[in-house]
Amino acid sequence: MRKIVERFRRSLTLKVILSIVLLTTLVLGVVGTTLFSRITAGIKEEKVDSAISEAAYTIYFAQTRLLASSRTDSELRRTAKEIVNSQDIGSDISSREIVLMRGIQNIDPEVPIDSVSNQISLSSIPNTLREKVASSGNISWEFVNTIYASGKLVPSVAVGEEIQVSKSGTYEMYVIFSLEPQIKALVLIKNYLWLSGLALLILITFVTWLTLRQILQPIREVAETAERLTTGALDLRINVQSEDEIGRLGQTFNEMARSIEEQIRRLENLSRVQQQFVSDVSHELRTPLTTIRMASDLLFNARESFDPAIGRSTELLLAQIDKFEKLLEDLLEVSRFDADVANVKPEIVDVRTLVSKCMDDLALVASNRSTSLTLECVGEDLSAQLDPRRITRVVRNLLTNAIEHSDGKAVNVSVIADDHSLSIGVRDHGVGIDPTNHHRVFDRFWRADTSRSRARGGTGLGLAIAQEDARLHNGQITLWSELNEGAHFTLTIPKKFGEELATPALHH
Amino acid sequence: MTSVLVVDDDQDLAEMLGIVLNGVGIEVDLVSRGDEVLEVVRNNPPDLILLDVMLPGLDGVEVCRQIREHSIQVPIVMLTAKGDTHDVVLGLEAGADDYMVKPFKPSELVARIKTRLRRTTTNIKGTLTLGDISIDIVEHTISRGTKEIPLTRLEFDLLVALAKEPGRVFTREALLNEVWGYRHSTDTRLVNVHVQRLRAKVEHDPENPTIITTVRGIGYKAGASGSRGK
Repeated sequence: MRKIVERFRRSLTLKVILSIVLLTTLVLGVVGTTLFSRITAGIKEEKVDSAISEAAYTIYFAQTRLLASSRTDSELRRTAKEIVNSQDIGSDISSREIVLMRGIQNIDPEVPIDSVSNQISLSSIPNTLREKVASSGNISWEFVNTIYASGKLVPSVAVGEEIQVSKSGTYEMYVIFSLEPQIKALVLIKNYLWLSGLALLILITFVTWLTLRQILQPIREVAETAERLTTGALDLRINVQSEDEIGRLGQTFNEMARSIEEQIRRLENLSRVQQQFVSDVSHELRTPLTTIRMASDLLFNARESFDPAIGRSTELLLAQIDKFEKLLEDLLEVSRFDADVANVKPEIVDVRTLVSKCMDDLALVASNRSTSLTLECVGEDLSAQLDPRRITRVVRNLLTNAIEHSDGKAVNVSVIADDHSLSIGVRDHGVGIDPTNHHRVFDRFWRADTSRSRARGGTGLGLAIAQEDARLHNGQITLWSELNEGAHFTLTIPKKFGEELATPALHH
Repeated sequence: MTSVLVVDDDQDLAEMLGIVLNGVGIEVDLVSRGDEVLEVVRNNPPDLILLDVMLPGLDGVEVCRQIREHSIQVPIVMLTAKGDTHDVVLGLEAGADDYMVKPFKPSELVARIKTRLRRTTTNIKGTLTLGDISIDIVEHTISRGTKEIPLTRLEFDLLVALAKEPGRVFTREALLNEVWGYRHSTDTRLVNVHVQRLRAKVEHDPENPTIITTVRGIGYKAGASGSRGK
């Protein structure tokens, strides 16, 4: 059911056809009903008119015969019988019945003639008609159901008038015309109406479908092309065959696609040139830097023999070269992220081991700042599919930051995993970061000079790179921190590389 | 005295390299054009070549290929400014033994050069056999039957490292440590490329190796797959 609704919602053809079918049905219904009732009325009116004139003639003829027969009673009865039986006198109307009834008021006639009829029950004549005939004295008519002796009911029109019978007083004579031929004709007309209505409906539906298909086919093609264009097939165009409005749509679309392609290619080229430039600059800097490094290394190794000021200068020189190198490396890494050429080599790694190794590597740095490092692991399976180089870099970065800002207090590292995701938390208890600056900590070259003591070793790109690394793993780095309460950075990644992160960070 | 040929078009860097290497007792010759290298190497074979990738005349990768095509088995260490590019793999495939990404620390460079220059130290004397290949440790030669197969020193070291413990599976990291002297490096391309090069020389069918086989997901070992050796 939901599928049908969904299909209906998505298909213009279905929608249009359904509304056209509904509307056509309504119009055809109204027109058909009106037409049919008009025809019915017309046919019945015509029948009643002819019935009245026919009846008037028949009754007049009978009247003369009955008045003229001033003979014996038996002759009178025979005449009455004859009149009733003379169904087809002077008429081409196929079926009519005649009823002769004693008038309502005529209680005790001199020569009583029984009410007579041919094959039909006298109760066919309703009392309402009899009263009308008696009271008006004129010819009167009514639609009735003729009841035959066999029990068959035939819809008919009954026309009656009072006649005078010699010696017997007032009688009522009715001529009943069957409406069966008319009803048959009406049924036929009705069937034709239904049939033509249905045919019309089918025709309209078909034409609508055909028209829609003709219009929608090119539109659908445009939509499909647009969709594929969005996914990157920039050189895709529509095959325009006609010069009508639809053809113009295709042409305009093609022009739009061409212009978009041009723009995108231009921008792509621009950003490629830009990235290539950053990359080239970084690489070009490397050769002179190598010479500088080697020279300063030589100086550094010989610093004992220098004047103390020069000796110290060589130390500073080497330290700055280290920093410069690191900055260059980070810049290159960032340019790789920007150019989207960072390649990830995921493998299944025991994260506890990875984190422990990072902690071992930084143990000396930590102890120099009299900071202790603790590790807590929660979860059954602490392995995940990740790029060890990148995740190691993230963990080292978080750890270095934490140690630097720990104020000599402990740094707690935690590894927590559930079935789908794994998170590594690094918590320090130092000065913390003002919550108003939380959104900026991942910005390139942003430093919290006021609230966090200046990072001495970092390049200002560490967290930006860490976040990119996390993103490459479909993961995220979240931060909790309050001033003077320390900071808690948490890296959360899905355990299986390439999957989406289902649950939010497990920490906090 | 050990001699190293430095090929670099940056005069200052070349001179600096000379100063550093002289400082540790290595004699240095300088060449600044790629297309001059082959002649110099032929006339005056060095113990090792430090080869910059970007050179005028002929680029480093081509120089490498040229030297190997002339069956000169001298160790070659490439110097590159781009550690992450295809250049490195191309260089290794062309026959370079190792590479260093600029900027490097002088101590690192010296250590790497010394690793490449040292003689294979093993307590095994005499010959080893691996399949139908016999390895003469003392003479530093390998042969199939009577036919000698020329190997670079690095390829020889790699083969010996595997052959002296046939059947043992070496991880790429273990080989990096043993043959290249890296204590921690994750660039396993070095191992992969040189195993391919070695196979091309010693295997009957490099596509279906029997002398050096791959152990999926772990690394390499000497001997046909399935055999566990001694």
